[in-house]
Amino acid sequence: MLGEWWTNLRTRCQTCSRVTLGAGVFVLALVVAGLLLTAGAAGLAWTNTEEFCTGCHEMRDNVYAEFKGSIHDKNRSGVRAICSNCHVPHEPVALIVRKMQASFEVWGHLTGKIDTKEKFAKHRYEMAVKEWTRMKRNGSQECRNCHHFDAMEPEKQTEKARARHEKAAAAGTPCIDCHFGIAHNEPDGPGPQELPEFQKMKAVKQ
Amino acid sequence: MRVISLVAGAFAALACSAVYAQSVDVSAAEALAKKSGCTKCHSVSAKKEGPSFKQTAEKYKGKPDAEAALFKHLTTNPKIKVDGKEELHDSPKTKNEAEIRNLIQYILSR
Repeated sequence: MLGEWWTNLRTRCQTCSRVTLGAGVFVLALVVAGLLLTAGAAGLAWTNTEEFCTGCHEMRDNVYAEFKGSIHDKNRSGVRAICSNCHVPHEPVALIVRKMQASFEVWGHLTGKIDTKEKFAKHRYEMAVKEWTRMKRNGSQECRNCHHFDAMEPEKQTEKARARHEKAAAAGTPCIDCHFGIAHNEPDGPGPQELPEFQKMKAVKQ
Repeated sequence: MRVISLVAGAFAALACSAVYAQSVDVSAAEALAKKSGCTKCHSVSAKKEGPSFKQTAEKYKGKPDAEAALFKHLTTNPKIKVDGKEELHDSPKTKNEAEIRNLIQYILSR
């Protein structure tokens, strides 16, 4: 098929040499690929904005309303963590995988699965477990993109925080095991430390 | 007559517990718990370093001295053990007794 297309192209431009034509096709392919990549990157960047994430009332009226005023929204230094900072991986492959999953979550929006406060409350726990599981599997990478054990100054932490962080760093405990329900309301039920999948893994390790 | 008294007593207890439940200012209690750092070690229902509020409520269920015991625990910085090490339990960040009692009622009603 490609050979046929090339022959057709050469017939149409008989004055062009094979090299000139080849170079032209190559440049054109580069331009198209560049445009597609730029559009894709712009699209991905757009879906990471706070405006996009809060574009639907399910997010705006529930988890975003809870996030407002939390330490990740307002603090003394003015550094904010928006939705995508915590819920979208930065690594290219993981990012694409998460975006693909998120596109399936749009189905929930279209079918009105969580379109009222009551429905949202009913599904809050399962949604939280999904996110806790993701954040446990990747060692809470999104937290650690900003919070580095190595960069912490233990002497500036309270004695209790220092003890907990030292223990967590030594054991490789993911941040989410303790720091859950800090930006959104805590759902009713067992927390990240009690998820069955990880309980089994812990038992196997021991 | 005895049956009527029993039924009346039961209704009175029910009414009192309803008033008691309503009297808890949940958002004020949650805000104080957050401000005071309680939620760093205690969750409402999940496992953390300290017992969950639900576990505490269960522990003191039906005990008449529950509020007094928790008030003492929250205001006297008692020694507690975490991972086998002793440390002092923190107090809520308020000097208003009513706010502390509201927090206690919130915990006991989980």
